[in-house]
Amino acid sequence: MKPLMTTEERDSIEALIARVALGDQSAFSRLYDATSGKLLAVCLRVLNERAAAEDAMQEVFVKVWNNADRYQVTGHSPMTWLITIARNTAIDRLRARKTDRDIADYSERLAAPGLTPEQSVVAASESRHVLRCLEELDSDRRAAITGAYLEGKSYKELSDQFDVPLNTMRTWLRRGLAALRECMSR
Amino acid sequence: MTPDQAPDEQDLLAAEYALGLLTGEELSEARRLAVTDSAFAQSVTDWEIRMAALADDLVPEVPAPAVKMALLAKVFPAPRPKPLWERLWVWQATAAASLLVLVAAFVFDPGRAVLTTGPLYTAEIVADSGDFRVVAVIDKSTNEVFLTRTAGAAPEGRILQVWAHGPGEPAISVGLWPDGDTIRLPMPQTIAAVQGVLTLGVSEEPPGGSPTGSPSGRVFGTVDIAGVSSRS
Repeated sequence: MKPLMTTEERDSIEALIARVALGDQSAFSRLYDATSGKLLAVCLRVLNERAAAEDAMQEVFVKVWNNADRYQVTGHSPMTWLITIARNTAIDRLRARKTDRDIADYSERLAAPGLTPEQSVVAASESRHVLRCLEELDSDRRAAITGAYLEGKSYKELSDQFDVPLNTMRTWLRRGLAALRECMSR
Repeated sequence: MTPDQAPDEQDLLAAEYALGLLTGEELSEARRLAVTDSAFAQSVTDWEIRMAALADDLVPEVPAPAVKMALLAKVFPAPRPKPLWERLWVWQATAAASLLVLVAAFVFDPGRAVLTTGPLYTAEIVADSGDFRVVAVIDKSTNEVFLTRTAGAAPEGRILQVWAHGPGEPAISVGLWPDGDTIRLPMPQTIAAVQGVLTLGVSEEPPGGSPTGSPSGRVFGTVDIAGVSSRS
């Protein structure tokens, strides 16, 4: 399993975000060139339609321009920060309920007391194991977790898909998440 | 949900929140915890990081070039550097005359075979007390800064020194200005590389320049020049 990116790429994207936070337009342009391909792929995976995905990706970069100064306090690695914004933006559009998971909500959370970047270092290294750990899961649970993350499925939709009662679905998925967390931390 | 539920329960609630699976009261509760409880907020971030790895396998797609153009137009409503004659309009009356002379001297420098092709940026450094003024032209085609003193001077036995820095960076010396009304200085590589806001300043220093590497005497003033880039 290869990491999300090399240390060098990570540092350079981090440096670009830092300069974007200071209003550096050329850094923004370069950040776009370096990351738009991946973020478009995320939006396309969620929205399944190219024009809608490009539109969502554009919104992602507007959010990045306006919120780059908050990146440092989130504890994400630069790419996971960008992917999270892209995924949430695309899911918002998919669900057409823009207010629920907008970045406003997201950034309020990030201002929470005592949150420091150091605290997430462990999880960043864990994340490399996620695909292997997903493989270890029962295939239905795996499909439920990826359905929730990449397709924005609700418990109701998942319970319909797997033809189980809603509460059973929830229990399943939570057990899957707990198993995933356990696998990734070892 | 209660605040004293098991940590594991809290972490799974954070996971469900990160995935967007919560509704109703549980969603409200998770939102409240996300802004009030740093451990919960951290759990949400950790789940976001874990889940982002699901994007690892996605093959990057090349967006249409029009998407970037539309984005840049949307995000940067500010105009691109204007032609020189238009920018001259913004000059205050006090500086306009000297600037015209300055630019004429600059552009029609006999040592120069062709007119400059890179962006030119003009700015004025004015001391708060008004006793010192310098007009500056930055030529990105050669990465030089050309300065003209229009009021004031270094005190007896002292010289002027020119400083610059990019956003959030410490000022570094561009060069000494021992005498004369005008001076042309090549920009140090660090300063030539600045994109965005370039800050320029002038201080008075002992002969030979500041001994500390930073301004040590009176800083007459600084000016922020926005939107500096190497694009022509």
